[in-house]
Amino acid sequence: MLDFFTIFSKGGLVLWCFQGVRGPVATAPVNALIRSVLLQERGGNNSFNHEALTLKYKLDNQFELVFVVGFQKILTLTYVDKLIDDVHKEFRDKYRNEFQQKGTLGLLNGTFDFKEDFMRLLRDAEESSKARAPTVMKTFEQSQKSQKTVKCMIETRGEKPKEKVKNKKNKGSKKEGMEAVTAASKASTGDRQPSAAGDREELTKDEILQKNREEFFKRHMKAGEKSRSPKPEAQKEKGKKPRVWDLGNSNAKVLDYSNSATNGSVEACPVEEFDPDLALGGRNREPGRLYDLEYESDEEIEEKVIQNPSKPSAKKGGLGGMFGMLKGLVGSKSLTREDMDPILEKMKDHLIAKNVAAEIAVQLCESVAKKLEGRVMGTFTTVTSTVKQALQEALVQILQPQRRVDVLRDVMDAQRHRRPYVVTFCGVNGVGKSTNLAKISFWLIENGFSVLIAACDTFRAGAVEQLRTHTRRLNALHPPESHGGRTMVQLYEKGYGKDAAGIAMEAISYARNQGFDVVLVDTAGRMQDNAPLMTALAKLIAVNAPDLVLFVGEALVGNEAVDQLGLLFSRLNKSNSLSLSS
Amino acid sequence: MAGSSEPQPEALRPAMAAPALLSVLLALLAVAVTILLWRLVQGRRSRRRAVLLLGLCDAGKTLLFARLLTGRYRDTQTSITESSALYRVSKDKSANVTLIDLPGHESLRLHFLERFKAAARAIVFVVDSVAFQREVKDVAEFLYQVLVDGTVLKNAPALLIACNKQDVTMAKSSKLIQQQLEKELNTLRVTRSAAPSSLDGSATGGPAQLGKKGKDFDFSQLPMKVEFVECSARGSKGEDGDADCEALEKWLAKIA
Repeated sequence: MLDFFTIFSKGGLVLWCFQGVRGPVATAPVNALIRSVLLQERGGNNSFNHEALTLKYKLDNQFELVFVVGFQKILTLTYVDKLIDDVHKEFRDKYRNEFQQKGTLGLLNGTFDFKEDFMRLLRDAEESSKARAPTVMKTFEQSQKSQKTVKCMIETRGEKPKEKVKNKKNKGSKKEGMEAVTAASKASTGDRQPSAAGDREELTKDEILQKNREEFFKRHMKAGEKSRSPKPEAQKEKGKKPRVWDLGNSNAKVLDYSNSATNGSVEACPVEEFDPDLALGGRNREPGRLYDLEYESDEEIEEKVIQNPSKPSAKKGGLGGMFGMLKGLVGSKSLTREDMDPILEKMKDHLIAKNVAAEIAVQLCESVAKKLEGRVMGTFTTVTSTVKQALQEALVQILQPQRRVDVLRDVMDAQRHRRPYVVTFCGVNGVGKSTNLAKISFWLIENGFSVLIAACDTFRAGAVEQLRTHTRRLNALHPPESHGGRTMVQLYEKGYGKDAAGIAMEAISYARNQGFDVVLVDTAGRMQDNAPLMTALAKLIAVNAPDLVLFVGEALVGNEAVDQLGLLFSRLNKSNSLSLSS
Repeated sequence: MAGSSEPQPEALRPAMAAPALLSVLLALLAVAVTILLWRLVQGRRSRRRAVLLLGLCDAGKTLLFARLLTGRYRDTQTSITESSALYRVSKDKSANVTLIDLPGHESLRLHFLERFKAAARAIVFVVDSVAFQREVKDVAEFLYQVLVDGTVLKNAPALLIACNKQDVTMAKSSKLIQQQLEKELNTLRVTRSAAPSSLDGSATGGPAQLGKKGKDFDFSQLPMKVEFVECSARGSKGEDGDADCEALEKWLAKIA
């Protein structure tokens, strides 16, 4: 059932591998797992999908090992988690000596003959999953419905609605049903029950209807009588009682609110006096100025809440606590989840307070916890410092650019192939696309490249004029005379209201004909949830295939930025499998 | 009267000064000796004995590491952390170096380079000869980052560029790789120095100039010894045979 099971060290050496069903070689999916999950700190949940395989993994942070199991995505194997845990424990116990004493050379030289143990564990796991018998459906006799009588399910007027009367024509189970009914019904009042039971077999739909009708008439004859059908007492009340209100016994005058506070009435609320000064804060107010509402900060409440769970742990014996702390400082103490949790909570709150998106902060802390669990701390390191350092490393790792960012080098490359290097600017309204475009074109001109600016913002009033002003200024700074007679910056525009993708395409071909090195395409600002505009942007990018798509975002925007980027990325990916650097 | 009291403090002063001066001199001597000893001890401890294995992802560093240490073929995955082990250079000499295999992934490589560059006695830069044509810009960028690093320029560890995967027929020769790298680094000198500085003020290889200005970049212009070597970690006979890395081993023996 399993495609493969690998055990490898974090340094990259495969210690043991099991190739199960005739599947693909294990290296490629595991590499994908490492690159997209472990290195990008998405280690929160431990499963990962790669093409047709699902990969589940477990980290051993004490000996720096990784356990990975892969199986087909369509299978739902329930024993995989347990299998990984068992294999982890067994492998670690069996080869503990090699890991501890010999270090890397032990990993290199050691032969890890684990096959029999693994097959045994696999068999145990498969059997344990099969041992649980599939749930058998209850028979009719076992269900609750068979134990209810017909009468209790008949809806009579004025009573609470019950389940509708079922057609009791279950031939096979009728007799048993009757017995069950007679045995189980507690509120069997008198002679009705056996007659009902005896009649059950011959009851047809019409007869049931007739019975209902008779009862209905009888009730209307005998007004005020309670119900006499043999229902279990627990199910029904003793009939309808008149509802009693709290003020029901008072007379109508008290209940009359019609002449109380209306607009303009002087004797308004009979309750408290309305003190405007007190209501608005009681400070010396300047008339006409809006003051902030004073509210009790929630931090105090939160602190109390956080302190309470930590208090019992602090009370755990003073002397033992001290020794524990000393032991923690010196020597080998392995990190547990409980040690790390309060610190990670604080880190998470700190991250969120600094405008990191909430779910990302949560996932990051989860991933760091997974990476640190079970690791042995060195001497004189506290838990806080270890966690902090791990979090710092994780953040630095995520923030490293995954691809080479060297625009000048790529421009030179494009120059050699005699085609222009196309850069597109996108983002929401007002983040500074046109301004940044001007700055980047200045930088490019300083480095000796000629720039064509394509004004594809055909929507905003003044967008083209803004770019024209920039162009004029830049040309004044770098006049054609000082660059061998060619204009360094030129604007390509077609006015307002036209299709942006068409203008971009024309601009690029114009640049190719005229020999411009770089084309900077300015687009209109758009919100990420505006579907037609996003489609238009996707079309522009798909048609023109720019070399670089720059997303301009505001640093003050906070969590919104995640939304903007995510939606933009998914839109662009949907239309064409572009892989932007995320 | 005044005269008699004066010579007394004067006579006393040199008498008082002598032991005080002596103790001061003694203290200074002690401090100087301590500093000297400390420098010596530190110097001995921080003697650079490490050989770093650097390179892009999938260049073959971990396999090379395993081959050098054990001589056998091992399956490998992408490394996440470094592996280090003591490598006995040759049978008769007792010299040994610490081989350190660093991860090549983009998000990790700089971090690990920072940690280990101070201890580096030599650097082996592993290049995938088969994918070189495609990756030449990335290889050159990483090499550039290693070469303009301040610590590396100061210590000038010996540099070996190992052109790995020579067992594949499409592999480029080391001569070709050398020429291409020189051209790329020449271009990179210009573009990286013209790159816009980041907001936090850290210069990406800013003031350090690679090679001589005015002339095309050449590996001989670097302050360290650079050599090119061809090798194959997998070996021409596949997984069961030996690796073809004698040139690498000879070089390691030379610099140990």
